[in-house]
Amino acid sequence: MIDERIFEQFKEIGRDLYDAGLISSHGGNISVRLGDRVVIKRRGAQLGRLKPHDLIETGLDKNDSGVALASTELLAHRTIYKQTPALAIVHCHPRTAIAFSLSRDEIVPIDNEASYLLKKVPVVSEEYPSGTPEMANKLAAILQSYKIVMLRGHGSFAIGQTLDEAFHWTTTLEESCQIALYAKLINEPFIEYRKMSEAYGKW
Amino acid sequence: MNGWAGKVLDIDLTTGQIREYPLDEKKARLFLGGRGLGARLLWDEVGPEVEPLSPANVLIFAAGPLTATGYQTSNRFSVSTKSPLTGTVLDANSGGYWGMQFKKAGYDVLIVRGKAEKPVYIEIKPDRVSLHDAADLWGMRVRAVTEKLGQNDNRRNVLCIGPAGENLVRLAAIMNDGQRSLARGGPGAVMGSKNLKAIVVEGRQRPEILDQELFKFMLYETRKLLRASPLTSQALPEFGTAVVMNIINDIGALPTRNFQQSQFEAAEAISGEALTDTYLVKNTACWACPIACTRISKTEKVEGEGPEFETTWAFGAQCGNADLAAIIEANALCNDLGIDTISAGSTIACAMELTEKGFLDSDLRFGRADLFAQALEDMAYRRGLGEDLAEGSLRLATKYGAPELSMSVKGLEMPAYDPRGMQGQGLLYATSNRGACHMRGNMLGLEVLGLPKLIDRFQVQGKSSYVILHQNSAAAIDSLVLCKFTNLGVAEEYFARALSAVTGVKYATGDLIRVGERVWNLERLYNLREGFTAKDDTLPPRLLNEAVVAGPSQGWVAKLEPMLKEYYRARGWDEQGKPRLQKLEELGLKELVS
Repeated sequence: MIDERIFEQFKEIGRDLYDAGLISSHGGNISVRLGDRVVIKRRGAQLGRLKPHDLIETGLDKNDSGVALASTELLAHRTIYKQTPALAIVHCHPRTAIAFSLSRDEIVPIDNEASYLLKKVPVVSEEYPSGTPEMANKLAAILQSYKIVMLRGHGSFAIGQTLDEAFHWTTTLEESCQIALYAKLINEPFIEYRKMSEAYGKW
Repeated sequence: MNGWAGKVLDIDLTTGQIREYPLDEKKARLFLGGRGLGARLLWDEVGPEVEPLSPANVLIFAAGPLTATGYQTSNRFSVSTKSPLTGTVLDANSGGYWGMQFKKAGYDVLIVRGKAEKPVYIEIKPDRVSLHDAADLWGMRVRAVTEKLGQNDNRRNVLCIGPAGENLVRLAAIMNDGQRSLARGGPGAVMGSKNLKAIVVEGRQRPEILDQELFKFMLYETRKLLRASPLTSQALPEFGTAVVMNIINDIGALPTRNFQQSQFEAAEAISGEALTDTYLVKNTACWACPIACTRISKTEKVEGEGPEFETTWAFGAQCGNADLAAIIEANALCNDLGIDTISAGSTIACAMELTEKGFLDSDLRFGRADLFAQALEDMAYRRGLGEDLAEGSLRLATKYGAPELSMSVKGLEMPAYDPRGMQGQGLLYATSNRGACHMRGNMLGLEVLGLPKLIDRFQVQGKSSYVILHQNSAAAIDSLVLCKFTNLGVAEEYFARALSAVTGVKYATGDLIRVGERVWNLERLYNLREGFTAKDDTLPPRLLNEAVVAGPSQGWVAKLEPMLKEYYRARGWDEQGKPRLQKLEELGLKELVS
């Protein structure tokens, strides 16, 4: 039985992801770690319209009947929980960040907020399909050192202690990419305003 | 070995032998320093056959790889030993200057073993380590000894015990730089049992930093974060740690009159704001700390450092006392006698309840702040009822027939958060390896302050995950060794990167937290080897059975059992709370039990 308070967190963050345009109607997935259990969105459920029965609980290590219903990204979530300190994961499809991921191996923010919070966001290519152990291990290895990572042309995986925190990194990245896009459109010389900014790229 | 000095100083007080040898590099990388390295060395040095107050126990003073580098709050160090209060593994850490000076003397670790025939003190200078007669120092109080041995914050630093340590009081602290303390669990009594009065250090070597450019960036970013956080840039400097007094009281989690209530009607009178408005002279800071939470307070009778939040609570709400001056004076006296303020205040509160309930014949009653000084003096010199107070609340309450009135876990008195109003904090206290402790992870951030984000303080399901993460994080920070207040504004990823910059060894955030998990499991193994079992992972019956009678936490008890079951599973332990072999293998600890 999943605590009502936990369902409320899923419902709020799911709705916010949809409202913010960070997912399509049936895209994305989110999860939390509860001790040795994982609670994750049901496969095919709409994050923007979650009902209590849309949350699936299963083991972190052990399979049970829950895996038959869980999101296809369950393996990635489990692997990240086992290899990093994450207690919550938000995976979604931030459009501007995805657009930037198509042409670079890392996203180094130029706005103040994301420079402060994220420093740098690695981008990885899906040499293996999403949902495979290889891809899950790759994501987990990067999330040992970073709060959020982009899968090129696909979307973001953010980790936190809570869904709220992982959502924060996600919206920070998308906002930063939108600002960078506007700056590109304005197409005027960039005035560096941050001290030691050259170090962000080495983060 | 950048970051680490690479040397261990080993002094046998029985023989007078002083040795130096290289630090084991593998252990250093796995356990870093401070608490972690201390626990690893203690595992080899002190087995279950050793009585805590016998010469076979050791004191392990340890700095960490960041100590003295100049990274924010890199002033701290720790002492590890077997606790005479709890019988558990123990470490206590402290700020000030001594730790920085010790590292600059060129050492990571000092092991003190054996027992001197007569009182001695140790002097560590750049060119010589020596033992000196301390006959004329024995019996002196902390301030006097510190002054006499030439305390000079940036050049020469003194660590010592007061009368409480000499008299083997189980609540005795080791004091450094005059008024800083390695307080909990009675390390001062271990030092007293060795006839060791003081350790004086002078150092000249700054640790080498491998990647200067990255380190400068980490200093800059960390400074920025600490300045941006209202907690570290405004609340703590302006009001000290007692800034949380009103906050904790408002949510109904401030233990009052030996945890009989969870709100104190006079909390405001003993709050950080009240201290700032009345007795505060100024705030000050430890070495390399931009936060400056330390209070300098003055009453008609005393002037000195403190009091901290926990002390203010222990002699305030916990004893039903609203007289802030009396708290400041009790704090100053504890510092001078060398006593842990949390355990002392809580043991006195226990005696007050024992008296009011008819188990004990004494004048100690809730609100009798006028008796603090006498009780503390008697405790330090083991006079009259002080002989029982000196043993801590559990032995005291057991002797007088009501052990359930000791508000302790594994014999260590609980700090200032009522688990009935902060469910995660209850799990944290119950599972803490050195007994109830707010510094082995703290749910204040998540359950109350919203750091990094607020979670429901009454939620039980899933709480173990947060508790485990914060316990692991705290163990890692204690092994670096940094001040946990830095972590109120700066996340672990910054510490990991600073560590990588200093040592040249790549530590991802996950690696650093994994060090903490390794330390936590090692400490667990130590306690299991000492005979502790899952039965010891509990809370006082009052918190499990007596619901809060009024206020925002009304109706709540600590729902420990479901959280504990989840906790064991999530830790990779069996139903008896023993780490499974697979977990030990993952952490590189399997060799210790095979």
